Amino acid sequence: MDEILTEKKVNRHPKRKKKQPITWSLIKNQRQLIWMSVPLTMYIVLFAYVPVWGWTMAFQNYRPAKAFGEQTWVGFKHFKFLFTDDNFLRVLRNTLAMGIINLILGFMTAIILALLLNEIKNVLWKRTVQTISYLPHFLSWIIVTGIVATSLSVGDGIINVVLMKLHLIDSPILWLSEGKYFWGIVGASHIWKEVGWSTIIYLAAIASIDPALYEAAEIDGANRYRRMFNVTLPGIKATIVILLIMSVGHVLDVGFEVPYLLGNGLIMDWSETIDIFVLKYGIAQGNYSLATAGGIFKTVVSVTLLLLANWTSKRLGEERLL
Amino acid sequence: MGGKSKSSMFKLSLVTLLSLSLTLAGCGGNNNNSAATKEEGNKPAETAAGNTTGSEEKIEPFEISIFLGEAGQQPTPDNKIYKKIKEETGASFNFEFLAGDLKQKLGVMIAGQDYPDLMTANTQLTAAGAFIPLEDLIEEHAPNLKAHYADYWNMMKDPNDGHIYTLPNYGAYNGKMSTTYYSGPAFWIQKAILKDAGYPQVKTLDEYFDLLVKYKEKNPTIDGTPTIGFEILNNDWRNWGLFNAPQHLIGHPNDGGVVVKDNVAELFADKDYAKQYYQKLNEMNGLGIIDQEAFVQNYDQYLAKLSSGAVLGMFDQHWNFQKAEDSLSTQNKIERTYVGLPLVYDTNTKDYYLDRPALNLNNGFGITVNAKNAVKIIKLMDRMIQEDWQKVLTWGIEGEDYIVENGRFMRTAEQRVNAVDATWKLSNKADAWWGTAPKMQGYFADGNSTDAAAQPEEYKAGLKPYDKEILDGYGINSYADFFSEPGPNPVAYPAWSIDLVEGSDAKIAETKMGELKTKFLPKAILASSSDFDKVWNDFVKEMGKVNVKAYEDRINEQLKWRFDTWSVK
Repeated sequence: MDEILTEKKVNRHPKRKKKQPITWSLIKNQRQLIWMSVPLTMYIVLFAYVPVWGWTMAFQNYRPAKAFGEQTWVGFKHFKFLFTDDNFLRVLRNTLAMGIINLILGFMTAIILALLLNEIKNVLWKRTVQTISYLPHFLSWIIVTGIVATSLSVGDGIINVVLMKLHLIDSPILWLSEGKYFWGIVGASHIWKEVGWSTIIYLAAIASIDPALYEAAEIDGANRYRRMFNVTLPGIKATIVILLIMSVGHVLDVGFEVPYLLGNGLIMDWSETIDIFVLKYGIAQGNYSLATAGGIFKTVVSVTLLLLANWTSKRLGEERLL
Repeated sequence: MGGKSKSSMFKLSLVTLLSLSLTLAGCGGNNNNSAATKEEGNKPAETAAGNTTGSEEKIEPFEISIFLGEAGQQPTPDNKIYKKIKEETGASFNFEFLAGDLKQKLGVMIAGQDYPDLMTANTQLTAAGAFIPLEDLIEEHAPNLKAHYADYWNMMKDPNDGHIYTLPNYGAYNGKMSTTYYSGPAFWIQKAILKDAGYPQVKTLDEYFDLLVKYKEKNPTIDGTPTIGFEILNNDWRNWGLFNAPQHLIGHPNDGGVVVKDNVAELFADKDYAKQYYQKLNEMNGLGIIDQEAFVQNYDQYLAKLSSGAVLGMFDQHWNFQKAEDSLSTQNKIERTYVGLPLVYDTNTKDYYLDRPALNLNNGFGITVNAKNAVKIIKLMDRMIQEDWQKVLTWGIEGEDYIVENGRFMRTAEQRVNAVDATWKLSNKADAWWGTAPKMQGYFADGNSTDAAAQPEEYKAGLKPYDKEILDGYGINSYADFFSEPGPNPVAYPAWSIDLVEGSDAKIAETKMGELKTKFLPKAILASSSDFDKVWNDFVKEMGKVNVKAYEDRINEQLKWRFDTWSVK
């Protein structure tokens, strides 16, 4: 954006398109633009950078009633507690597993649904399917987990009833008491809630593909599947890669509401995530320092994953975010 | 990057400068603010003190914001009791009820130092310095409160710094206590089962489960719902349904997670007498008596199951499932409501479920550092603790909510129905305030009970025919008579109200143990009987890894502190 505006305003050096030294005259020229960007910059600084100051809590024995100067500094004590706890590896595993399952399943289902929707010729039917599939997005997780728990219940849960009617199982399964089902249940709940919503952006990307390409492919004798694979998919590849990179940064973020609300003692080994661990030993104990240490750890891992994904993508010659 | 370095350096420095100035500005602002609020906090308190002492007669309206650590319903705006309070004292209340998880809510409030004037006591808040010390305020402005708590003064002091931060809502008795209603822990059983079995004496755990098994065989469904033999709730902080029974079964009172013998506390969860209980549950699970979904349910689902009338029995505290029982009464299923039984392992053990009420420490109201009207609030509480107001708060308005015959307080049939009607209460009782406020318990000076339900005439008149039948069958006067008369409490009792201190090793150990119990005990109960020992051994091994010593040490240290401080009155 900046660069385009720069070009239009200062047209004195038409040849030097990319590198333009910032001079006082340039600043003067663009003062309106600069003023306009001040509120936004302030917003970002205030809400994205200033709170980072709170990270200092992780290195203190933070007590809310005391002023900053009165806090005791403890170095890496809280990180040590976090990393040496027996449960830490387990919660890290659970967080990553659920995050990755959600990421992969979410991506595949959204792209597949988008491709299928794109093939529907009847507009009314297409709209109906799309609307129904994205409606659950507007429910909050507390409601969705309630629905999930009810449908999985032994007495009259729809899942057990259907499976029994189909004679796939002999007796109802207590889904939420078996750790091995838990990640799957979480993944499925995510898909049910988010798949429709995620397709919207792909459908938009598909809509921007030049129809001439389809026509050309059709003339060349490509059938529906060929067109899907050789026109539609390559056409939205850039979108897919960018979204993938962005989601990789959020892999660790998936693990609070659903595991917290659906988890119970029997499946704790599979359901507890970093966020729940931090809540239990940090916030709930009034130990904000530990909670902050957990938060820092998550941020560091997320940023690393994001950069890694971006770098990989660049290496493979694909689109990238940064 | 390389080629752009000059211009980007310039940009970078601009950004840094801007952000730095903003950060500094932000910090400065903060400091000023906090200093300002501190001053504000002090000043009005003084001025208010000056004002109110000068003009006692003039009623100045003021509002008290209150956070209650429990879910609840707002009273109606025209509630007659709150209206009366406002007319006569000027005080009006602005209640905020808990929605969601208490610890989380408190954590957020503490992080933001965002407190209303009055809050339900919690050790987390005390540790965060949210409450102001009350001793001097009470000495100076509240002679009636001082008299009310006189016998308990030392007990109320915070063991960590000796100040009084909160005013216990229950357990400050004047004279005798009345026992017709038992709200504590017990093994509960449906009244219909006792009647069906011909009013047997049920003393031991085995006898209890035998009854459940036989009844379930005879009645596979109740009102169309499959019968659930024994229900266990283990959800969030409501975990005693699973954890606490073993201490009672060996004849100890409720001390929370420990058993106190000769003033020494010992963790009991991994001991053999605990194993005995869980082994019994394991055996019962084999017979299909335990609810399959017991360990995946939440509190609401638990209440729903109890309200259906299909649950034969459970271990719980009466107040915890009161709502379900109210619902059963409304559905006119009196035979499905519960009787508490003080079970033990063998008949040589004397039951100790019913205890003499102990001061409800770490409960009740505390005045927060943000309260501007601390003096007015303490004066209001001082006014409310006087007998005339206590009568209004418990019995209601004479002539409207109760009648007086020969000096005895009674209710008409209609008033009795009103008194249990939740909707009626919202506009005619000040329950939201009363539940947490300091209160008189026992008897008023005129001999009437402070609690309408405990007034003997009222209790008799309120009994349903079905209850009379059961009580007559056993030849007793009230359900509380099933329990042995308790002796005097040990000085330091109860251990469950000991503050483990947030974030301490003891607290972390407690959290860890809670986690292990939540994980392993259900596993042990649901295991096949041959696997039980294996799961139990794993559990004991894992518990051994926890810093149990820190936990026991903290409790013992506090028991000793209580022993030293409380016995010298």
